[in-house]
Amino acid sequence: MSAWFGDIYRTLFKIELAVMFQYRAAVVIWLIGLVLQPVIYLVVWLTVAETEGGRVGDFDAGSLSAYFLIMMVVNHATFSWHMWEMGYRVRSGSFNSLLVQPLHPFHRDIIQNMAYKVLSLAIVLPVTALLWWFFEPTLTPEPWMWIALGPAVALAFLVRFFFEWSLALLAFWITDTSGLNNLYMALFFFLAGRMAPISLLPSWGQAIANALPFRLMLAFPVELLMGRLTPEQVMDGFLTQILWIGLGWLTVHLVWTRASARYSAVGA
Amino acid sequence: MRLLRLFLIYLRIGLLYELQYRANFWIQMGKSIMNLVVALAGVAVIYEHTTNLNGWVPAELVVLLGIFVLMTGVLGVVVRPSMEKLIEDVRDGNLDFTLTKPEDAQVLVSVSQVRVWQLIDVVLGPIVSIAAMLHLGRQVDLQQMGIFAITLLAGTAILYSFWLILATISFWFIRIENIFMIFHSLYDAARWPVTIYPGWLQAALTFLVPVTFAVTVPAEALIGRLTHDYLMLTIGLAVALLVISRLFWRVGLRQYAGASA
Amino acid sequence: MTTIRCDNLTKTYTVPVRDPGLLNAAKSLFHRRTRDVEAVKDVCFELAEGEIVGFLGPNGAGKTTTLKMLSGLLQPTDGQVEVLGFKPFRRQRDFLRQITLVMGNRNQLVWDIPVADSFERNRAIYGLERPAFTETVDMLVELLDLAELLDKPVRNLSLGERMKCEVAVALLHRPRILFLDEPTLGLDVTMQRRIRTFVAEYNRTSGATVLLTSHYMADVEALCERVLVIHHGQLLFDGQLDELVQRFSPHKTIVVDLETEEADLSDYAEVVHTEGNRVTLTVPKELTAATTGRLLADLPVIDLTVEDPPIEEVIERVFTQQLQHDPDSTSDDSATP
Repeated sequence: MSAWFGDIYRTLFKIELAVMFQYRAAVVIWLIGLVLQPVIYLVVWLTVAETEGGRVGDFDAGSLSAYFLIMMVVNHATFSWHMWEMGYRVRSGSFNSLLVQPLHPFHRDIIQNMAYKVLSLAIVLPVTALLWWFFEPTLTPEPWMWIALGPAVALAFLVRFFFEWSLALLAFWITDTSGLNNLYMALFFFLAGRMAPISLLPSWGQAIANALPFRLMLAFPVELLMGRLTPEQVMDGFLTQILWIGLGWLTVHLVWTRASARYSAVGA
Repeated sequence: MRLLRLFLIYLRIGLLYELQYRANFWIQMGKSIMNLVVALAGVAVIYEHTTNLNGWVPAELVVLLGIFVLMTGVLGVVVRPSMEKLIEDVRDGNLDFTLTKPEDAQVLVSVSQVRVWQLIDVVLGPIVSIAAMLHLGRQVDLQQMGIFAITLLAGTAILYSFWLILATISFWFIRIENIFMIFHSLYDAARWPVTIYPGWLQAALTFLVPVTFAVTVPAEALIGRLTHDYLMLTIGLAVALLVISRLFWRVGLRQYAGASA
Repeated sequence: MTTIRCDNLTKTYTVPVRDPGLLNAAKSLFHRRTRDVEAVKDVCFELAEGEIVGFLGPNGAGKTTTLKMLSGLLQPTDGQVEVLGFKPFRRQRDFLRQITLVMGNRNQLVWDIPVADSFERNRAIYGLERPAFTETVDMLVELLDLAELLDKPVRNLSLGERMKCEVAVALLHRPRILFLDEPTLGLDVTMQRRIRTFVAEYNRTSGATVLLTSHYMADVEALCERVLVIHHGQLLFDGQLDELVQRFSPHKTIVVDLETEEADLSDYAEVVHTEGNRVTLTVPKELTAATTGRLLADLPVIDLTVEDPPIEEVIERVFTQQLQHDPDSTSDDSATP
């Protein structure tokens, strides 16, 4: 069984990579949006810092730049689009060819996602380097933080993927999930740390952010690398991430059978 | 006027279409309100930490936000859907049907698709701006209103022409649907006054994708900050782009007609 | 051995209903009316291993819906269905590994990359051992003449070439059951024949059970001894193709080529068509022999053939007969999704 999965992941990854490569123009264009938003908010916060004598909360210009640029990269590593695609698949009937095959669509999606990330690294890394040079962020992490970053991002990816994939399954019950998706994106925007570092949110906002998994999907690895978390807090974060991954796995497992039962296989 | 009559016809069709999906009305309402709440929340978070963003006080920023929403609605009702459809039609060859109709093709393709529920933004935006203006307690005389209206029209004209130029490019490069994505990403920057951005980004937002004229300029006009020179520039640009886009469109059509099926 | 069994298989859809016009459109914003459509109703049949069975019916009759229930895509509203001992709807891996579904336009092929890569992908998904896989690929490549297509991206293939590759990729895992939904749709005559020959050959060598839906009588005539006829979701006929012809067309057609032009043959039988020296007659089956005898005896006959009426006609007759007997058959076929 695990040999089969190993084979599948290897083979499908190569194939998805090849397909993505064919769409490289679209990949580049998509990346422009991904890069631009953090830059916009970075500039907004830098402007605020300038007006307020160089500091906002516990951030200065250098750390603001570091935050937003690292957040940009981590966001890129953890984001997914499947909640938008699922609705399309259900409506168009393109699910048929997927459902007839003995491979859970979840695997296919996660492999496709990873292939996209790997391919777009070719653009994201140089662009980040360029922006790094322009904005002059300050970043001095200790060695253990670099080591912990890998797992933190990997776990963040899984937390987010499971969560968003479960959300995507709503497409089987609701014809147009764009409203819900937008609500999710709106919440994520604030509570994961995209609009601002979480410590800059009003205290009640911070409390909510810490209770929900969004922070673990994005801000957590960023805060880790910037040295704003103690080792204990990092361990705590890891454990909570694992918890959320477990919950996500359970949700997908339970909901999927019901979801495919609702699928009416319209279309050819 | 012809343009108006055609627009109303397509508006009716659009209405009939959209009313089928009753959920769409509520979804759009939900989306618009949520977007507004998110935007206002963002402004609120910023102003927790300062009272002045590059010379803009909170209420002024909300005025800007209202214009942003208004413009999003204006674009979203007819400009964007029609241009997106145009690109599709060029790709599928369905543009042929439009070209055989006894009306000016540019007019037809510009109003071909109406998303009625985006009008919600067109209503919401001004409400927000007016509320913010009232909060500011500033007097707005007739002349200022006039200038504001002109900048709105100019801004719309500029964006429309820009979209038309983009869509016309598809006569040569068929697979460019994604090009609109670039616009959306840069347009998002317009919810903040463009003066805060570093030079290169400001330049991009003015000369590359002219969103400055769509949002910041009318907002400045309303608040009373717009210089005379800039107003002239805006009007000049609007006229120029309308002409250029029309000419480019004609060239594109010749290209399309010349190409084989 | 029975591989497929359906008992009282039923599928009902709920569809929204709305009258045209702006006012009604606005009303529908607040109040939704719906209607039940019985896409498939009480269908019962059994297929044995190795059979090739044709599934006939007009658009919207319920063929594709039935096929989707058999392949596990749709959950039946009522009734039982069992394929290879599995309940298809549970979509267990062992079940999915033994079936395949080819639907006219749908693809398992990946659009932008070479065909061979799509094959490789299916190999991984179905967990096929490399040696067996290579053997299967070689066989399919030869039978379908795919050698030159393997390294072309799918988007560069013509429709016929693509269809051949779709069929191939669907068979890589050597399924025991083939569900073919309009496999020759949109193909030119040569390609249709190619696919038909292939299916027949595949069935012969592998013993796979084939359930085939098609609009083209030629498909059914060439491949199927047994046919299921479905209309308005109900099974109208289940039996041998010739039996269908026998039962629903009590006539035969006689075509005579005469030495000279004859004035009027209507004494012998009903004249359908006259063209120069050739006369086409239609005669009740039981009178065929007698009429033939008389024609041969009385007239200067160069050639005489006795034919069954075209199957299309027969099927038409099955449907019209059903319509006549079915009082509430005014429902709208196109409402079925």
